[in-house]
Amino acid sequence: MFDVWKNVLADIEQSVPHTIYITFFTPTKLISIENQVVKIGTPNVFVVRQLRGKYNKNVIAALQKNGVDFKEVEYIVESSTKIKKKSSGREVLEKDVKTASSVVKSLPSKLPEKHAKILGTGLNPNYTLDSFVVGSNNDLAVSIAKNVIKNPGSKYNPFFLYGGPGLGKTHLVQAIGNEIIKLHPEIKVLYTPTNHFFSEFIELIKKNRGDEFAQKYRKLDVLIIDDFQQIINKDRSQEEFFNIFNDLHQANKQIIVTSDRLPEQIEKLDVRLSSRLTWGSGAIDLQMPTFEDKCAILRSMAEIGGYEIEDEAIAYLAENVKTNIRDLEGQLHRLIAIAELRNKTPLEIINDSSIGEVVVLSRAKGGAIQPRKIVEKVAKAYGLTVEEMTSKSRVSHIKNARQVAMYLLQEEANLSTNKIASEVGVKDHSTVMHGIRKIKKDLKLDFGLREQISSIRGSLYD
Amino acid sequence: MEIEVTQEKLSKALAVVSRVAASARTTLPILSNVLIRAEGNKVSLTATNLDMAVVEYVPVISAKDGVITVPARLLSEFVGNLPKGEKISIKTDGIKVKISADNYRSTINGVVADDFPELPEIDEKEAVKYEIGVDEFKVRLSEVIVAVSNDTTRPALTGVYFNTDGGNLYVAATDGYRLAENKIISGVSSEVKAIVPANSLQEVLRSLSDDMEKIEILFDEAQVRFRMGEIEITSKLIDGTFPDYRALIPKETEIELVLDKSELIRITKMAAVFSREVNQSIVCEIDAEKSVFIVSSILNEVGENRSEISVKAEKSGKVKVDSRYLMTAFNALEEPMVRFGMSAKIGPVLIRNEKSNDYRHLVMPLDI
Repeated sequence: MFDVWKNVLADIEQSVPHTIYITFFTPTKLISIENQVVKIGTPNVFVVRQLRGKYNKNVIAALQKNGVDFKEVEYIVESSTKIKKKSSGREVLEKDVKTASSVVKSLPSKLPEKHAKILGTGLNPNYTLDSFVVGSNNDLAVSIAKNVIKNPGSKYNPFFLYGGPGLGKTHLVQAIGNEIIKLHPEIKVLYTPTNHFFSEFIELIKKNRGDEFAQKYRKLDVLIIDDFQQIINKDRSQEEFFNIFNDLHQANKQIIVTSDRLPEQIEKLDVRLSSRLTWGSGAIDLQMPTFEDKCAILRSMAEIGGYEIEDEAIAYLAENVKTNIRDLEGQLHRLIAIAELRNKTPLEIINDSSIGEVVVLSRAKGGAIQPRKIVEKVAKAYGLTVEEMTSKSRVSHIKNARQVAMYLLQEEANLSTNKIASEVGVKDHSTVMHGIRKIKKDLKLDFGLREQISSIRGSLYD
Repeated sequence: MEIEVTQEKLSKALAVVSRVAASARTTLPILSNVLIRAEGNKVSLTATNLDMAVVEYVPVISAKDGVITVPARLLSEFVGNLPKGEKISIKTDGIKVKISADNYRSTINGVVADDFPELPEIDEKEAVKYEIGVDEFKVRLSEVIVAVSNDTTRPALTGVYFNTDGGNLYVAATDGYRLAENKIISGVSSEVKAIVPANSLQEVLRSLSDDMEKIEILFDEAQVRFRMGEIEITSKLIDGTFPDYRALIPKETEIELVLDKSELIRITKMAAVFSREVNQSIVCEIDAEKSVFIVSSILNEVGENRSEISVKAEKSGKVKVDSRYLMTAFNALEEPMVRFGMSAKIGPVLIRNEKSNDYRHLVMPLDI
């Protein structure tokens, strides 16, 4: 097919002045002939304009002469063959044609109806369930979310989701909202951050229009309240929320609440409300992902962003970023940006000691955790002194704390089992291995333990 | 075609237009011509180099319809040398263009306009439009354009990246070793991501004059148009991907100092004197214990330089940077005081105005 273009160009060369040919035709190429449409790539709009406006007839004549079957000729802007580096270092030609300089127009007044609906709900359509990477850290939350999407307002109501910052709470609940709208377009969904909810209430009370507020919220089928720990200690506001909560709940309307801690840990939250929040689903938490989960998340992010990144680079990030998923994403973008900037691959950047460690990962690397700190934090969390915890005591809660410390020493400080043994005062590595195995097993079922460990882990990086 | 116009008006318009034409490639000689078009008492001058085009409307005394192209430089130089205040008449006779003023006459051989490239059109309704005050545009764009790369093997970096984020329009440029970003319009409703060639922007900046108030910017998929006063400049966009630079700019730096700009420029220049043979690299250091900010450089076997400013800092840090990049950044700042941010480890230097957060200039560290 592409040989045809050479012949076509040769014919065109005969029919136009040489200077015109050199200027406008030599930088062109044939992109495709499909459905009788001939697509011709040109370097810029100026050339497109000349070809379309002045020399279209020459192009058509030459195409016909060479026996090309077509109805239409399209001229598009595409810089001459792009060469993009693949992760393996091979150079490959980019096949798909795309103009990277894109112009997106979004004037709210002209939005199609479907979008307008999403706007009124406070939801961001970019958060979808498909882009939420499922792993052992969040599979329970996701399966409940799917259930809520299918049958809002039935089994898991209210759905209380908690977890540290940047682990995907907002993403998951927004995705629930978006999927519900997709599946049941008639359902009224509202997503609101807690502080918006209360400031709206206070605003309307000031104007003596408190009724409007109550009416607006009681009309909803699904209410999503994000960051509930920001609830304010105002009796009247809490009372109002409590009433709305009760009315919606009794009418079998779905309520979804997120928070960075358990209800009983939210200061000054009314006890009645606190117990009601975990009625439906219990408190479901999002954990820090494991190494494998982090790799999967990074791979998915890279795919969405269209980045080329080596497996080794992914492993490096997964291993070194220990705070949360938001930081994981931030560090990935940063690494990619530096790589693009320096025209190197992500792995080359990491291996380049002068840039990789210091610039890309200063934050993630900054927090190399001292084993001592882990031991102290665990002891504190269990209300023990370090001496008590590292004693030979076999009292169950002390033993438990010791095992948690072993687990975290391995996970966070990457110590060998022998080192761990000496840190926590047990006699050999086999005791350590047993302890870690036990914690890993318990973690699967014991939500209290999960919560405990994730809060200790959080405190390590404060 | 027959036009009557004053020398000032024509000369001024030709100065802008012929800059674009004169730089035309040689493959197509007509590109070094200017197209003169008279239509319904309106006269326009057009020139293009096929990367960009400029059209300027000239106020005339009288005009009869017609169109012709004339070598831009020749016409511009002839008109420029005519006395000010002179009334010039331009008259075509076939392809002969007769230009005359009171006592001066010349005839230039023109080329028929048919061979002149047609200019790309922009659909005003579909295009994304922005409007900004000329002074603001000039200042803010100039602060960023200094960081553009001239490495043509990486086309995306040879332009300025116009992009919207969170309802604001930003311009950004980088050459891989430093990066500058500025907010040019806040509160915009339409989005854009486009790389505009720095050459075209330089031309836009040069064409701005004091009597202009607003500049209108229109983007479509493949081109951008700047409209200011009587001038319209249309440019291609660069087809490429600009790095996701926001991820590189730290939200806060570990150490932040507020320093006097003129003092900072002075000590940087002094240190640069001793770093000529070592890639202009100088060392910026903060010593929290001694409460000093130190700029130093060493030239082997020649000597060394060290300047201090006393400051209050909580952490110490040290970084080696290219002094030229620092100078460019300092000179781009508007306020007299500079916020100088650096890391306690080796990290980029972030330079901002003391008060405004709109302009951010990042300089990457050199290897120590």
